Amino acid sequence: MSNVDELEALLRPPAMEMPPYPPKVITLASGEQMVVRQIDRDEVPTLLKAIAPLIWVERDFYDVVAARLFGELLAYKRYRVRDEYCLVGLIDGVLAGIVNGRAVNGDVGMSYHTITIRRGLRVGSHMFAAKMEYHMEYLNQKEVLIVAESPIGFRRWMIEYPLQKKYEVQHELGGVPSWTLTRDTYFKAKPRLVSGRRPVPPELLERAKTITLPGEETVKAQVLGEKGEGA
Amino acid sequence: MREVAIIGAGMTKFGRSDLSLIEIMSEAAIRALEDAALGDQKVDSVYVANMGAARLNRQTAIASALVDQLNLFPAMAEAVENGPASGASAFKNGFQAIASGMADVVLVTGGERMREVNNLEATDFVASMSHPQAEYIYGVTLPALAGMFTRLYMDRYGVTAKHLALVAIKNHANALKNPYAHIHQAITIEGILTAPEAVVNNPYIADPLRLYDCCPVSDGAAALVLTTREIAEKLGKPIVKVGGIGQATDTHAVHERPDPTELTAVKIAAQKAFQMAGIGPQDIDVAELHDAFTILEIAESEEAGFFPKGEGHNALEQGVTSLGGKLPINPSGGLKAKGHPVGATGVAQLVELTWQLRGAAGDRQVEGAKNAFACNFGGFGNNVVTTVLMREE
Amino acid sequence: MEEKVYGVQCKTCGKETYPAHAVCPNCGGHDFEPLEITGEGKVLTYTDVYALPLDYALRYLRLAIVELDSGLRATGQLVDDDPKIGKRVRTTVGVVRETGGRKIYGLQFVPV
Ligand SMILES: [Zn+2]
Repeated sequence: MSNVDELEALLRPPAMEMPPYPPKVITLASGEQMVVRQIDRDEVPTLLKAIAPLIWVERDFYDVVAARLFGELLAYKRYRVRDEYCLVGLIDGVLAGIVNGRAVNGDVGMSYHTITIRRGLRVGSHMFAAKMEYHMEYLNQKEVLIVAESPIGFRRWMIEYPLQKKYEVQHELGGVPSWTLTRDTYFKAKPRLVSGRRPVPPELLERAKTITLPGEETVKAQVLGEKGEGA
Repeated sequence: MREVAIIGAGMTKFGRSDLSLIEIMSEAAIRALEDAALGDQKVDSVYVANMGAARLNRQTAIASALVDQLNLFPAMAEAVENGPASGASAFKNGFQAIASGMADVVLVTGGERMREVNNLEATDFVASMSHPQAEYIYGVTLPALAGMFTRLYMDRYGVTAKHLALVAIKNHANALKNPYAHIHQAITIEGILTAPEAVVNNPYIADPLRLYDCCPVSDGAAALVLTTREIAEKLGKPIVKVGGIGQATDTHAVHERPDPTELTAVKIAAQKAFQMAGIGPQDIDVAELHDAFTILEIAESEEAGFFPKGEGHNALEQGVTSLGGKLPINPSGGLKAKGHPVGATGVAQLVELTWQLRGAAGDRQVEGAKNAFACNFGGFGNNVVTTVLMREE
Repeated sequence: MEEKVYGVQCKTCGKETYPAHAVCPNCGGHDFEPLEITGEGKVLTYTDVYALPLDYALRYLRLAIVELDSGLRATGQLVDDDPKIGKRVRTTVGVVRETGGRKIYGLQFVPV
């Protein structure tokens, strides 16, 4: 028995002290309130249920992003990725978007994935911005390494911020080399890309305590752009 | 000239489609043909409205392809390309064929499959309408032309960001009542304009125009069946008569217009359609205007003669153009929220108005609508087709 | 490199147009002389475009319609950090687009 524990200790990466992401609330175009908060490991199985059906959706590279995010979150739950975190966006408790990433060390962050469940309300944009906010303002890192795996991501992150090429560094996702968000770029982009209010009113926070999943059909309809803003 | 009536109308849901261009056009055409219930009567001629099949879908000669799908041999068939006004242009050709006696039954089908390419490519495709040497090379896009137009309009007539937002909010609300609309999403003034988050929710596309001032990129098709008044009566159809059609052109480069805030082609085309119909703007009960950008709904409502120049935004603010108002504009959701598959748009506007005049527009029905007006706007107003439809008891 | 932008002047009636047309909008004439588009004028309207077509890896592009003192108008890129309707500008010519490795020259307006 103690052998297993010793082995697990060898397999489990050491963890760095990471301050939590304080929840915030964002008013969306529809007037709905989206609470963005960090999840803990116990909530991962719920998210996996939402992500799994998207693994077979080719449109807009949902398949690639969903499959990789599934693996990353599962590994997070089972202590196989070092210093990972995950933030969710919830509208009335219903899952609207997920982002994740990790701290490489005190100075460098590594952005993993952004997946939008409720499309057409710039949820992806808000969630990506929340992730950058976490790295820059709460982990106080110097830079975040980022890649895009879809044209939408490229346009959102690389051009909107805009990120700088850092091709001498290979991103952990293994695709194209890295792009980087520096503190300088982040604080310049912040007024037009990062929003939300704190503290979240208690009743809103209470409703965001439990993650409710939209039905699989609803998720697919939203993701395939049959609802909401197509662009 | 023979009188012409619409006896069949149908469309696909606008949005994103996995079907091919010919498949979505077939779907709309079959719906319109079923609605027309022609019996022994054959389709003599087919007019297809489309702007980008050659570039977006790598297919040409699409009218022949559609006839083949629908087994309409040996009907005459051709495609009409007139930018985003292709739909109403094709309709005009169908009207002429019947009015002249060249054909007795015509199928008009407009369709576009834009999402086969990515958004950058789609933007560039639409931008290729602009003047190649004097506009396009500078990075001019349709949103850019609309943005410059909007800035001047705001400066001159007191239109504000709030008025633009009100157009979007109204048309998104209307689209919620239209099962065929691309976008089923209510939006609020807080979310797109007044909340601090609005800068993220509603970013600038071509300042002062923002995301929610611009129509989405859509796939979709719409179709109409036209015939003579006699055949329509014989088939026992409710008569939706084509009262008048007007068309006018304007300079290719927008900067060459004597007053770039005037959409002269809209004004002339509307006057011609009203003259032909023998009625005026005051007789119209419902209108579908080409709101590819929110400002265009306001500007066209003035040029068409519904409101004096510079006062369209006041009428909008007073609710005159909302469902339940005196002159509802874009009950379908307009291009803004119903979507804008460019070749389909002009036909889809007339499909909506046909349903409105038949009293078959569901929750978005304009009560007792008798006369209807459509404006289909090509380029940035360099080729405009307007139509007046009239219900006869 | 000397790059210029040209409109035309009608040889029959003297009417200046930009861009060129095959038929003079004033007199119907067909004979034209090249007319360099240059000089000072004022900004009629402008926009910052974020939805850019292919060939631009920028966040946005600033475009304007300028009315030259000659009365001719032209669309081009506005190189000015503080744009305003009515502001005085003059024409310059620079690279306005690069497509397939080819540089395209056109009008760029700068404040006077
Ligand atoms: Zn002349």
